[in-house]
Amino acid sequence: MTRAALLAPPLVLALAGCGGNQNSLDPGGHGERSIAHLFWVMLGVSLVGFGFIVTLLFLGWVRRDRPYLPGGRGERTATQLVLLLGVALPIVLLVALFVWSDLFVLSSTAAPKRPTALTVRVIGHEWWWEVRYRGSSAVTANEIHIPVRTKVTAIVTTADVIHSFWIPELNRKTDMIPGRANRLVLEADRPGVYRGQCAEFCGLQHAHMSVEVIAEPKPRFDAWLARTAEPAPGGSPVFAKNCSGCHQVRGTEARANVGPDLTHFASRRTIAALTLPNTPPNLRTWLRDPQHVKPGNRMPNLHLSNGEWRALERYVESLR
Amino acid sequence: MTTAALPVRPARPNGWWGMAVFVASEATLFGTLIGTYAYLGLHNAHWPPQHLAKPPVLTPTLLTAALLLTSIPMQLAWRAAREWRRASAWRLLALAFAVELGYLIWQLHDFVDLVHVYPPRGSAWSSVYLTLLGTDHAHVLAGLVLNAWFLVRISSRLTNYRLVGLRATTFYWHAVNTITAVVLAVQVSPYL
Amino acid sequence: MAVVERVERLEEIWLERPGVLGWLTTVDHKRIGLLYFWTTLVFFAAGGVEALLMRTQLAQSDERLVSPETYDQLMTMHGVTMIFFFIVPITTGAFGNYLVPLMIGARDMAFPRLNALGFWLFLGAGVFIYSSFLVHEAPNAGWFDYVPLSLRQYDRGHNVDFYALGLIFNGIATTIGALNLIVTIFKLRAPGMSWNRMPLFCFALLATALSLIFALPALTADCILLELQRKLGFHFFDVAHGGDPLLWQHLFWIFGHPEVYIIVLPAFGIATSIIPTFARRRMIAFPLVAMAELLVAFIGFGVWAHHMFSTGISTATLVFFAAASMMVVVPSTIQIYAWVLTVNLGTPVFRAPLMFIGGFITFFVLGGLSGIMFAAIPFDQATTDTYFVVAHFHFVIFGAAVFPLLGGIYYWFPKVTGRMYHEGLAQLSFWLTFAGTALTFFPMHIVGLLGMTRRVYTYDHGLGWDAYNLVETIGGYVLAAGLLAIALNIAWSARRGPYAGRDPFHGGTLEWTIPSPPPHYNFAVVPTVRSASPNWDEEARQEDLERLERDELVLAGGHETPTTTVNDAELSQIAEMPPESPWPIALAVSVTIAFALLLTSHYASAGGFLALALLMLAGWHAAEPEEA
Repeated sequence: MTRAALLAPPLVLALAGCGGNQNSLDPGGHGERSIAHLFWVMLGVSLVGFGFIVTLLFLGWVRRDRPYLPGGRGERTATQLVLLLGVALPIVLLVALFVWSDLFVLSSTAAPKRPTALTVRVIGHEWWWEVRYRGSSAVTANEIHIPVRTKVTAIVTTADVIHSFWIPELNRKTDMIPGRANRLVLEADRPGVYRGQCAEFCGLQHAHMSVEVIAEPKPRFDAWLARTAEPAPGGSPVFAKNCSGCHQVRGTEARANVGPDLTHFASRRTIAALTLPNTPPNLRTWLRDPQHVKPGNRMPNLHLSNGEWRALERYVESLR
Repeated sequence: MTTAALPVRPARPNGWWGMAVFVASEATLFGTLIGTYAYLGLHNAHWPPQHLAKPPVLTPTLLTAALLLTSIPMQLAWRAAREWRRASAWRLLALAFAVELGYLIWQLHDFVDLVHVYPPRGSAWSSVYLTLLGTDHAHVLAGLVLNAWFLVRISSRLTNYRLVGLRATTFYWHAVNTITAVVLAVQVSPYL
Repeated sequence: MAVVERVERLEEIWLERPGVLGWLTTVDHKRIGLLYFWTTLVFFAAGGVEALLMRTQLAQSDERLVSPETYDQLMTMHGVTMIFFFIVPITTGAFGNYLVPLMIGARDMAFPRLNALGFWLFLGAGVFIYSSFLVHEAPNAGWFDYVPLSLRQYDRGHNVDFYALGLIFNGIATTIGALNLIVTIFKLRAPGMSWNRMPLFCFALLATALSLIFALPALTADCILLELQRKLGFHFFDVAHGGDPLLWQHLFWIFGHPEVYIIVLPAFGIATSIIPTFARRRMIAFPLVAMAELLVAFIGFGVWAHHMFSTGISTATLVFFAAASMMVVVPSTIQIYAWVLTVNLGTPVFRAPLMFIGGFITFFVLGGLSGIMFAAIPFDQATTDTYFVVAHFHFVIFGAAVFPLLGGIYYWFPKVTGRMYHEGLAQLSFWLTFAGTALTFFPMHIVGLLGMTRRVYTYDHGLGWDAYNLVETIGGYVLAAGLLAIALNIAWSARRGPYAGRDPFHGGTLEWTIPSPPPHYNFAVVPTVRSASPNWDEEARQEDLERLERDELVLAGGHETPTTTVNDAELSQIAEMPPESPWPIALAVSVTIAFALLLTSHYASAGGFLALALLMLAGWHAAEPEEA
């Protein structure tokens, strides 16, 4: 890609379809679609305005040896132009933008007024996401499963500092602030994985605090929810000894909530809030040296024997 | 020399304007603190919290009234100084100083009690309440220090330079008193 | 004969001690302006190096050049440095100090010693906050330092204490500078310079200084509350005890948004100085532009919550602040069209200063348009805290505030040094900085829309961000090269440049009526002012000579400058200005020590040094001008 292409705003248009799955201009739901639409219109008007002023400036350079405006008009006309272009026109355009964006579009991205069929609670932690479903004992982390083409209310809160919940392809963002519960609608038009990331600086690993929304057909979602609500078949001594101070595995004696619930860890797609894909080699790397993979995160490096490592890995991989 | 012949318009000196801008800045600081008190009040169902008794207001009201009265001798002191009546300016200044010093000692004594009754580590209310009061007392102290400086300076001689300073200080004194009255209003607000 | 004697007498009266000692005790606004200039350039370089380190770290995904902790410190200090230790002090401190008295026909600022104190305190605050790098505890919670992340619970070192105390300290210095500018502009304008004849640069500086006076206390209070909570266990920001984390954000942005105008207004002032000179005609719509400058500073106080659109505050609040944010656009569009049409009406000469203004207008329009988008609440809620915002405010701050500054450096270089800069190198530096700025910041719009959040020390591969980030990093180095070219030009031309003479560009304002570099006393005679462009007023300049001849308003009886009435600038009295003084620097040293002791929680000793500072203040005021 050349520099010229990067500098030419119209080519931003070409971006709507590219990039990863965290692209706010590739809307996957009603809320973000209205925002993206708003953006394209604003961009269009802005380009006209930008072009106009830069052309005027360029004209000043082209006609630098000729005083007076093109057409020979003088200071009086120029002052009138300042009033027309600098006061009247912006006021008209701004009022239009205000009415459209802040009264109409705002309502399409607003928090739901009535309760929706499904409510999910998302709790921000340094540096991962806890996810709970209303009316279910399912708890998971860093991935939010939702049924496709269904309005889902997300109630977002925080366990520590301010985070911000943002799934760019689905909707606006909303901050997670101590003492407040902000709400937002998640709705995906098509099945798929929509990536999101914490948007408010929250400390050392703000960069590795990502989340995925997985939209699937209703039956698959229901099955997933039922499975996730179930407890784990059993515990493990090495896990109980080394991990239960921070993690929960439902159905065992591990019940802490410092780190993510691991009851169905092995069925999750990623490790450590999307830092690594959840594969056995990655799991090994993560377990043995979390401080290298995600420096500063709350999980300490453990010192176990080879046998203990293997037992731990086997156990965690069994948590499907 | 030649300037004497020029038409000259009387106007407030630079020193007065400097003080006016400084007071504007300080008043904004107090405004921010009072705003903080009000803002946190909106976010709490009970302000002050229910487990705390309402703070005392009778003594602060009487003390503030005395404080406000010191604006009179202060203004008279500046007026006397302007007419080069140095001795009476000094006496009036001393009167204002003495009353305000008494005010501050009394208030600081009560402030120590308040810190015990409403420990700032106990609640946001006591934190912001004591911060506001403490800042106001520091403000009164600043006025006193300025006043003391001029008590020393004009005890020997009155110059134009000192006159400008006294004028600015008088202005500051009134500002200190006014802000204290506003802070008193905040103290009274739980009873409204 | 008598004229020469009079000028020599002025020379003698206003001469300061030679050597380093002279610089340490100076009260000359020009020397203080230069002290500010060099100091802020050092901070600019520091902030620039921080930026380049960050850009290098972000050149590709999953880079491990710096640790997350280091990155957070770099990011925080980059913001803090550029805003508090570069732009504000270079505009108000360096440009304001040096130029305002020259433009209004005064011999110094209203309070020369206070002026020196402002500088030394500023330097003390800078040294204080930068010393945090020595102990590896530089501020690390971002320049807006949101609670609870910045509370002791989550940030146990001294990092945030350096930030909060440093900003309180810097705030004192800045307030002093702003106060001085306001009183100077109110009271020291040459007789005849009523408001409608005052240069627009001074209007801009006045609006800036007034904004500072009313905006800074909110930040100061916020930082005081933060320190009370961090150090003494008070509660303001924690929900459990009845506090509220959003309190920090409200107070911060009540300061923070006016700060945006504090940053750009002086740049507007520089633009309105350069444009008429190089367009070779006066500004059109002068009263409109003056009003716009004051208005923008005023409305700037009513829009703070647009920085908080995603915090979940009520819809009514959102809509109110969105409306106010849109209103703030109009004063800017007035100015943009006034500038562009002035260029069109005149016969402009596109030399380096005007080219930088061209770059400024281009980037300001770009940053302004993306700014308007943020007043559309839903778009703001989608895009806030992404690189789109980073792009927006760098076009506003770097493009719109720093470009005029760079143009201004070239424009007033001959006035300050008496020598001409190298035009070819200057134009090259323009194209380098222009291309560098566009390359660095434009792609940030795109990655922002592609979902890249700000303040991340690294990012994953495969999100489509890599190429843009690489281009941004390359742009950063191009930009650095452009800035180095400017530094080179200054260094070379200051020694080797051809002599520039009194008025190389035929500027309209008073600074061009006096020799370059200006003599210590600025004006041999209090200048006659009958229009907004006094240097283009031949008759008035002729009258100055006659006045000098007649010994009228030469004021060679001491450190004297006339004061005038606030509105009409009628002569009010002759003020006696203080001579050089060691007290300001001594006082600043004492206050710096006090802040260091506060940082380490030695409150009693800190109080001792503050008391010492107070005693010094007494010493300062014990020396009075001689009176008949």
